[in-house]
Amino acid sequence: MDKKYGVYICTGCGIGDALDIKELCGIPEEEGLPVATHPCLCGKEGLALLKKDIAEKGTNTLVIGACSRRVNFDVFKFDGCIVDRVNLREQVVWSHPRSEFPALTEEQKDDEEHFDRLQMLAEDYVKMGMARVEKVDLPEPSKLDTFSRGILVIGGGMTGMAAALDAAKAGYEVTIVEKEPALGGNANNWRRQLPVQDPYEELIDPIVADTIKAVESAKNITIKTETVVARIAGQPGEFTVTLKKPGEKIEFDVPYPLPDEMKVDENGKELDVDQQVERYKEYNEGRVDILALDPDGELFGAVILAAGWRPYEPKGDEFAHLGFGISPDVVTNAQFEKLAAAGKIVRPSDGRQAKSVVFIQSPDKNDDDNDFSYTGSVTSLVALKQAKYVREDYEDGKAYVFYQHMRTPGLQENFYKSLQQDRGIFLSKGEVMNVSANGDSLIVEADHTLLGEKVKVKADMVVLATGMVPATADDPVINLAYRQGPAFRDIDLFDGYSDSNFICFPYETQRTGIYAAGCVRRSMTLEESMEDAAGAALKAIQCIESSNRGVSVHPRSGDMTFPDFFFQRCTQCKRCTEECPFGALDDDEKGTPKPNPTRCRRCGTCMGACPERIIGFADYNIDSIGSMVKSIGVPSEDDYDEPPMRILGLVCENDAYPALDMAGLHRLSFSADVRFIPVRCLGSVNVIWIKDALAQGMDGVFLLGCKHGDDYQCHFVKGSELAEIRMQKIGDALSSLALEEERVAQFDIAIDDYDKLPKIINDFAELIEDLGPNPFKGF
Amino acid sequence: MADRYLIEPDVNFINEIAGLGGEDLKKCFQCATCSVACPISPDNKPFPRKEMIAASWGLKDKLVGNGDIWLCHNCGDCSTLCPRGAKPGDVLAAIRQYAITDYAAPKALGKMVNDPKKLPVLLAIPTVLFIVVGLLLKLLGVNWLNFAPGGDEIVHSHFFSSWLVDLMMIPASFWAVAVFGLGLKRFLADIHANALAEGKTDKESIEPVGFVQALIRIIPTILKHDKFNECSENKDRSTAHMMVFFGFIGLFIVTSIFFIVLYVFQIHGPYSQMNPVKWLANIAGVSLVIGSSLMIKNRLAKKDDQVSTYQDWFLIGLALALGLSGMLAEMTRLGGLAGISYFLYFVHLVFVWSLFIYVPFTKLAHIVYRTTAMAYSEYGNRK
Repeated sequence: MDKKYGVYICTGCGIGDALDIKELCGIPEEEGLPVATHPCLCGKEGLALLKKDIAEKGTNTLVIGACSRRVNFDVFKFDGCIVDRVNLREQVVWSHPRSEFPALTEEQKDDEEHFDRLQMLAEDYVKMGMARVEKVDLPEPSKLDTFSRGILVIGGGMTGMAAALDAAKAGYEVTIVEKEPALGGNANNWRRQLPVQDPYEELIDPIVADTIKAVESAKNITIKTETVVARIAGQPGEFTVTLKKPGEKIEFDVPYPLPDEMKVDENGKELDVDQQVERYKEYNEGRVDILALDPDGELFGAVILAAGWRPYEPKGDEFAHLGFGISPDVVTNAQFEKLAAAGKIVRPSDGRQAKSVVFIQSPDKNDDDNDFSYTGSVTSLVALKQAKYVREDYEDGKAYVFYQHMRTPGLQENFYKSLQQDRGIFLSKGEVMNVSANGDSLIVEADHTLLGEKVKVKADMVVLATGMVPATADDPVINLAYRQGPAFRDIDLFDGYSDSNFICFPYETQRTGIYAAGCVRRSMTLEESMEDAAGAALKAIQCIESSNRGVSVHPRSGDMTFPDFFFQRCTQCKRCTEECPFGALDDDEKGTPKPNPTRCRRCGTCMGACPERIIGFADYNIDSIGSMVKSIGVPSEDDYDEPPMRILGLVCENDAYPALDMAGLHRLSFSADVRFIPVRCLGSVNVIWIKDALAQGMDGVFLLGCKHGDDYQCHFVKGSELAEIRMQKIGDALSSLALEEERVAQFDIAIDDYDKLPKIINDFAELIEDLGPNPFKGF
Repeated sequence: MADRYLIEPDVNFINEIAGLGGEDLKKCFQCATCSVACPISPDNKPFPRKEMIAASWGLKDKLVGNGDIWLCHNCGDCSTLCPRGAKPGDVLAAIRQYAITDYAAPKALGKMVNDPKKLPVLLAIPTVLFIVVGLLLKLLGVNWLNFAPGGDEIVHSHFFSSWLVDLMMIPASFWAVAVFGLGLKRFLADIHANALAEGKTDKESIEPVGFVQALIRIIPTILKHDKFNECSENKDRSTAHMMVFFGFIGLFIVTSIFFIVLYVFQIHGPYSQMNPVKWLANIAGVSLVIGSSLMIKNRLAKKDDQVSTYQDWFLIGLALALGLSGMLAEMTRLGGLAGISYFLYFVHLVFVWSLFIYVPFTKLAHIVYRTTAMAYSEYGNRK
């Protein structure tokens, strides 16, 4: 496109009061670009001015120096135009008051001693905006050739059925695959179930039978029982799925990546590419490669994973202190449910009526008060439910619940309250120490109870509140034909639960187009699972409707860009394939990456990884950011006696950039020698930008992004972690150039920690000040 | 290590406590707001949090012989602040009532006193007894019951001889003392054992002299209603309680003086209204009537916050009936309404006798148990 530039400076919101606007307009004027100012650019008149230029002068590339791009984004959006928002308000005038950064007097203006830090900051930002728009293009979406709007639901339990019903109601074709001969899953085995609606006080009869009926009679739901997924190949919008009977071996079973120990020879030396390919083929004998599509495969747009859970099976003498495995009358909650479903509760040992039952919520081993593993509020609620069974069966029945945590979230509190009213149910926090036989009954001993002493209770039966193991802990289930492997990544980090970010993005997995719901995410009640199913169904629909238009699903919803590869220069290093947090790239035998645009979340981690710098987006690429860096003015001793430092801050636009805006909004001030450039994710930061900055004489560079590790806050899971690794490597390169490693740093910030930003920025600026100017300055 | 406490919940006990006004006890979720809110709960092992869990687990043995339930003055601060509406104040009141019946013998009579359906029988017993004894004595030639007392002056003893009155009342008062005595013996042993088990005392045994000294030390507290006045929620109840309390004490003193006057100095009533003892009698009687009426008014006004059980109404009703019948008998006597006055006197006697006989089973027994528990607490240095 032929770019016709226009620079617009708003003088409202304090910008005009703090800055020398005439000087500022001189920057684009020097480049021969038209400049206009307005006291309120976002107002009616201001917008009319912009629209007039677009319509009459054909302006299509606008640099708008005003407020942050995070506000008025809809106001300054013009079809067919490239727009750059220069943040003169939040990150210039609001965060740098004139009281701290004084303007120059007339005498000071031309000496070589004084300079106006604030004016320099604003001028640099305008230059950077101008540099950027020169290098970016308008994005065009990447459309798929074939496209399916079908939704595959893996798992025919309550979650899967609820998701299928919700998606079908919204008008989508759904296929449910269930490995068992019948639908219903675990819910088929229950006597009664927890309440699912107001007033949430009484147990109800299981709703599973009605749900199965509803699914079976739904027009656009196809049910495939005794079926599992052999592989899911392709990408959202065109997943090619091969189904099979459980246990069957077929050529479209998904191949597994070569384990690390097989990538080396006997001496521990890494094998070359061809040898590795050879080994891979041997390892996956009888299975075709991931890139081969099953011609008989079914096409789906998105997948809902509702594979559910299995009851935890205690290992050996794991709970011997609780009598499990020693007395047959000590059972798990799943075993107890089975007994209760079969009729009146009787002891497995002698068939005697179980009138006194103790429910234990925590194993109280290892001096901690954790509940059994894979539990949560659901096991608290199940204990209450099963306590009620004892009371239903026997008028003089007694049920005791010893818990470390009694979790009854939401309106299930009403159920707790109503159960508490039962005069034969006894609840106490307590540490269960031991369960032993006493004649033909059991004695449960507990410490630190609410009764204030060491107590014991006679019991006919003891029930352990063991947990619900997600299906994904045992098996990938989804069997993705992805180069990174058939399962979700980092499954160990989440105890086998499939997750991307528990708090921020509940249904997202680390694979775009696959949405997890129900007990594969965490232990849940049936009610929670059904609600979860609705969420996952909506996500699946969102995925289809976004992939359909060639735009990103999440978290950059609606982003039309996608990574573009300049393959001629690819060295097949596989870094992009391996580092993509979402497994979006599949490389071929040679190692050339095959992009799958609809799997991509547009974080740019591949762009940050690529040593050849051949990956970029239409509006965000090596050159666009590099040019911004290069446009920053770096004053040297030729300009001033003591020139100010120049520091580059590459900030994650998800948390760090808004935090900077918030600091400005709260009028928190920080060093005016730092130039910030927003990046999509720290994972997209290519080290060349840092090298460029230092090479042109900037004195320091820091990255500002999200926390990483087990409790990461990165929107793209791995971005900030990868950035940290890369920064460590750049440290070595710096020391070889005789530059101090401290000149490059990375900091964590959460969006609500904006008040900590000034200290982080100022401390780094001070550190650089102490290190002294970059020796390359002025070269 | 102390032996583990074997928990054996008694669901019937829970049901009974619920029936005695503690029906919300199971709502407790052990947040201990009650123990924090209570202005008179001690710092060491404070009540009523621990009593609430023991009650909801049906642990009768931890409650009935627990002195702490008597330290509670049912001021209601805990019930008002309870986030679950478990009403700890009412639960403790119910446990106290259960304890009263538990310590008083015979149990059959206790059951009757606590059963609203048996009220007519309870009142019929003295009525019939008085008349039958009077008639029997008549047959033997002792004319202590005269249905047609003549004379210009209305003299109650002409109708119902003082001898007959005392023939009925003296054994009745001995009965009360005996029933209380037996109950107290067991009660004191129980609360001591409980205090030892829960670490609430620093005394190994109960030494009588020290205990009596402790009892003397707490009497001013009781007279001044100091504990009662620490409450904020039911402060207004203190006045009513004090009026009833001192009404009873005044009447007790008056009765004792006139008993001596009658038997030692042989002076028969009615006594002059100018007599200072009579002043005391009238003031005490009025105080009893007003105090018990106030109690009724307070209870009716607090229907939502506080449970009022049959036992509560029984006691207040009895106090009011005593006061009213006494005062009215006197007023009608002074007013010259002979028939009505004699009838009211008879009614009054029935209520007085009922008070003696039934008191160990009623809520009024708290005068004995609470005093004992407070004295024990003082003696055992409950902190």
